Amino acid sequence: MNAATMTGQPVIALLGQPNSGKSTLFNGLTGARQRVGNWPGKTVEKKEGYYVRDGIRYRVTDLPGTYSLSANSEEEIITRDYIASGEADVVCILADASQLSRSLFMLADYTGIECPAILLLNLVDVAEAQGKRIDAARLEDKLGIPVIPFVAADRKRYGAFFEAVDRALKEKKRIDIDSLIAKYHAIGDGIYENLLALMPEAGIGNYSAPWLATKLIEGDTAILDTVKNTVEAEAYRDVETILSSIQNGALHTSGCKFQWIDELLSEALVQKQGKPLLSRFDRLATHRRWGKPLAVLIILLGLVASFIPATPIMVLGGMIPRLGGPIAEVLSSIGVSRILIDLINQVVLNTLYFAVAMIGFVLGVNLVFGFLEEVGYMARVSYIFDGTMARLGLQGKSVMPLVVSFGCTIGGAAGTRVIDSWGQRVLTIALAWVVPCAATWAIVPVISSLFFGAWAPLVIVAIFLVAGLHMLITARIFGSKLIRQEDRAGLIMELPPYHKPRWKALLRSILVRTWDILARALRVIFLVSFVFWLLTYSTSGNPDASLLYRFGRAIEPVTIVFGLTWQTFLAYFASMVSKEAALGVLGSLYLGAGSLFTATVGSGGKVAVGLESVLLASLTAPAALAFIFAVTFNAPCLMAITSTYQETRSLKWTLRILGYYVSTSLILAFLVYRIANLFM
Amino acid sequence: MITLDKVGTGRKVVVSEIEGDQRFLSRITSIGLTIGCELEVLHNENKFPLLFYGRDTVVALNREESKNVFVEVVE
Repeated sequence: MNAATMTGQPVIALLGQPNSGKSTLFNGLTGARQRVGNWPGKTVEKKEGYYVRDGIRYRVTDLPGTYSLSANSEEEIITRDYIASGEADVVCILADASQLSRSLFMLADYTGIECPAILLLNLVDVAEAQGKRIDAARLEDKLGIPVIPFVAADRKRYGAFFEAVDRALKEKKRIDIDSLIAKYHAIGDGIYENLLALMPEAGIGNYSAPWLATKLIEGDTAILDTVKNTVEAEAYRDVETILSSIQNGALHTSGCKFQWIDELLSEALVQKQGKPLLSRFDRLATHRRWGKPLAVLIILLGLVASFIPATPIMVLGGMIPRLGGPIAEVLSSIGVSRILIDLINQVVLNTLYFAVAMIGFVLGVNLVFGFLEEVGYMARVSYIFDGTMARLGLQGKSVMPLVVSFGCTIGGAAGTRVIDSWGQRVLTIALAWVVPCAATWAIVPVISSLFFGAWAPLVIVAIFLVAGLHMLITARIFGSKLIRQEDRAGLIMELPPYHKPRWKALLRSILVRTWDILARALRVIFLVSFVFWLLTYSTSGNPDASLLYRFGRAIEPVTIVFGLTWQTFLAYFASMVSKEAALGVLGSLYLGAGSLFTATVGSGGKVAVGLESVLLASLTAPAALAFIFAVTFNAPCLMAITSTYQETRSLKWTLRILGYYVSTSLILAFLVYRIANLFM
Repeated sequence: MITLDKVGTGRKVVVSEIEGDQRFLSRITSIGLTIGCELEVLHNENKFPLLFYGRDTVVALNREESKNVFVEVVE
């Protein structure tokens, strides 16, 4: 029994190759009514949602983007298992109409599965602009299932889709497989017929006998196991005998599938001879010498551009703490206790400020880099940086978040959304944390020039060298868990044709998750700020009455091993909340005045008057160096941690990355301190 | 017959044989490369993936893997 008859809620699965527009359709259909998680026990994203029409709730599952229905990657296995489970009532296959011949491979591979389907010819407007005309009625006639010319980004065209889904639910038509079987018959000496005869006539579950026979020829071991468990032992021996006579089966069957596609299209597709294959811009974008600088330049410009939509929101957020004064006045006039006013003023208002400022920046980054992805440019970046990034176990696109992280790690983490593999996304974020962000340069030059004078630039060179090494090691440590062996296989990817951005759909896909992001950001930032506030709360207003102060003093015998005095350790600790805080907290501790909380969230990297001479008197040069390295390679800031949690959607991995950075930054401080002590 | 990585930029070829394990064959054929299909090499530069056009699509393929694709040059 399928889902529709059980719950009255039909289930639609979206199936298609990467770049076929599945996600656009999914967002267009479900809007905010979606849930994103991971498939149980897998590193692959699972997206589910629903839409309501005529009082009926249609559940939509966005299957992972895969090129075929073989079982060579986690994505393919998930997709196939889902289809086999019978959970879907209709499978909606998306093909890219602008690259129809290749894109219909998924349809051909699906043919023979016993679940009603519809075919969406997405990006039909791009195809028309290329001078292609597709006769959908003719295709529908040949395939036997609804075929809809479609533009996933244009919700005005969804009517035809809804109608086709209802038609498929009612008529339950499968793709007409006979003409494809006729092609398979040409393989070898009756190999296909003989295999087909050995398959259970009714197929196995949703897999029809002809589909099973094809997968066996392709050497699909998972299907071979399924067949072994179903057919008689004698029949299975015959299957094995036949299979032993085939080599490179996938070449034969894929050849048949494409012949079938070519035949389908010979009558349904008319195309004029098009423009040159690589445009002048593409020649530059993929040029061996100019491609990389161009990509870095565009990413940097993108980072700047992301401030255009972000700035108004960030400015608005910046005004929130100013409400503190008036609110405090009102509250104290009605007799609210001092501590509660402090709590509202410092924690609540700052949480709101941090969260709003962060959302603004995340939106800006997602808009700009979503745009570059949407028009097709990110695929070129992926190509040109493939070799470089492969050394870290990453795909070429990962260069973007890493470059953005020189500006701000929050943007780096948010930018990983254009990376389609979850494991690669988490690894990219883990590496983006190494990249010294802009705030680092508010601290490092101040302290290094104070202690090392003209030698200060050497400290900065050392930081970059250590950062490079750090990345290589971190990539190894995290890569072994996050990147599957099969993904390390070399690059095979398509470079989609450029097309005009579809702002509406892009905005929709970004805004859909904003509420979720804001809610999460508020929760995390509030919780951490509150704990930090408790730790730094002091009845006298000076740091020495706070818990953190006592903790710092108590733990100094341990931190001194890493070259950190209790003051520098607490500043290091506060730099996890905000990197700029390191100097403010040092000022507050060494000069013994001002609230530690305000020093952390509101100092903006200013150096307190008189701090420099106190630092010179109380820290040795090796201790200063240890502090510089500890802060530089510590977790970037609370908002970057929050942003990491949002993009990975995994508390486990966020805490892992956080724990890793706290330990490695202390280890680095230890090494730097010990080595420096030998020479200084 | 030569391997695809030896084909110069701008040349058109026809695929005559593809070697490799089941994974690779399944992946490369699903992106449109099959025996008998015509390709045009768009970029063949040292240290960069090969870029070619076939079946309506611009495809980037790792150099190492392109050694498994055997072709006849047609023009």
